[in-house]
Amino acid sequence: MMKLLKIISFAVVILLAVSVPVLAHHGGASYDTSKTITVKGTVTEYIWTNPHVLVKLDGKDNSGNTVHWVVEGQNPVSMMAISWTKNTFKPGDEVEIDAMPAKNGNPVAFLGTVSPTAPRKRIVINGKQFQ
Amino acid sequence: MSKRMVFSIVALLAGLTISPDFSPILGAQTAPPKAAGEEAKPEKWNNVPPTKPEYAGKKSPPAPRRDLSGIWDAAEEDGGRQPSGALEHVALIKPRGQGVEGGQPDETGIMRPLHYTPLGLQALKANKPSGPSVRQVPSVLANDPLDQCDPIGFPRMELYELRTIELAQTANQVIYLNSFYGNWRIIWTDGRELPKDPEPRWNGYSVGKWVDDYTFVVETVGLNPRSWLDHAGRPHSEELRVEERFHRVDHDNMELTVTIYDPKMYTEPWQGLNKFPLHLQPADFDMPELICSPIDMQEYNKQVGNEVLPSSEKK
Repeated sequence: MMKLLKIISFAVVILLAVSVPVLAHHGGASYDTSKTITVKGTVTEYIWTNPHVLVKLDGKDNSGNTVHWVVEGQNPVSMMAISWTKNTFKPGDEVEIDAMPAKNGNPVAFLGTVSPTAPRKRIVINGKQFQ
Repeated sequence: MSKRMVFSIVALLAGLTISPDFSPILGAQTAPPKAAGEEAKPEKWNNVPPTKPEYAGKKSPPAPRRDLSGIWDAAEEDGGRQPSGALEHVALIKPRGQGVEGGQPDETGIMRPLHYTPLGLQALKANKPSGPSVRQVPSVLANDPLDQCDPIGFPRMELYELRTIELAQTANQVIYLNSFYGNWRIIWTDGRELPKDPEPRWNGYSVGKWVDDYTFVVETVGLNPRSWLDHAGRPHSEELRVEERFHRVDHDNMELTVTIYDPKMYTEPWQGLNKFPLHLQPADFDMPELICSPIDMQEYNKQVGNEVLPSSEKK
């Protein structure tokens, strides 16, 4: 039991030590900021609310199984500052979104810093580059 | 089908066809992607403040005398967002983006340390921030009041997500509207004294006076100690007094200095902001709404918050 506790404590310490600062106030430390992945699929839902805008899409894994992805942006006001609106995505859109993956490997990804002056992650909607 | 209904349908279809800007469906299909800086807004709602480079070096008329009124945007490059704590004392060991942070119990090693009393240090350690700072914890271990959409309170509304504020002056008040989380304050200018033993308020009790024709000083007390001072979890007691100094530099520019006096928590006063720039927006600027709602936060946690936790910490 003690050994198990030691292992868990060590894991927690490592986890805390590798937390990287990003501009996000809700658990940005949960994403691997050093990596960018491309999430590809069909939009199923677009949630335009606080604290952060979410794009849900269905993609495929390497074996062809459906994977339900969630891509997290920032709050609607910050998104409006880079020309997003509540109509930017609609169910059925075919999209490709570059984003940072969740550290735990779940199908969740994050756009990171959003501001008029920050570089923007590549997004393609129905074959046209949006940003 | 009645004539009126047919007419309504025809009118609706005509409206959708000729007015794509107001059609959510056609607008989304036909609007070309916008490039950076192309956000010309034909409509007067949800305005986006210009970035600093867009007006840098622009000459401004002189400041009007004893007048703060207007819509003011936090004009610093990164807005007034201060994700790593109050701007003058960010809880970081190196400038932002230059190193790995997080996991420390206290603020040892930060660039511009704060001087805590023993009680202050104890209170600091009890606050667990999830923002990027030397004491960052994963969000599941955090106890930031904002994660529950509890009130941001004052002065955190200036030391965290300071975005756009509107100030209006009446004969005996300055009315302060803060777009972030929809806060308002009344700053009395009728000469009254601050309350002696006030019931706590999240946004406190404020009085203000002109110390010269271009500098307005506000004192605030009676602040609810359950709020944090900033995103790095800096604590305060019920004895906190905050001084805001609004200095109107010229017509278009103002500087805000915020000083924290809380001898119970800190051995000396400290500045959260020092001459922080605010930039005047056009009189018809429409501040967007940014409100924290528990129902939205619950949905966010379901969709994302709980999904990105390390598996050992899932709720």
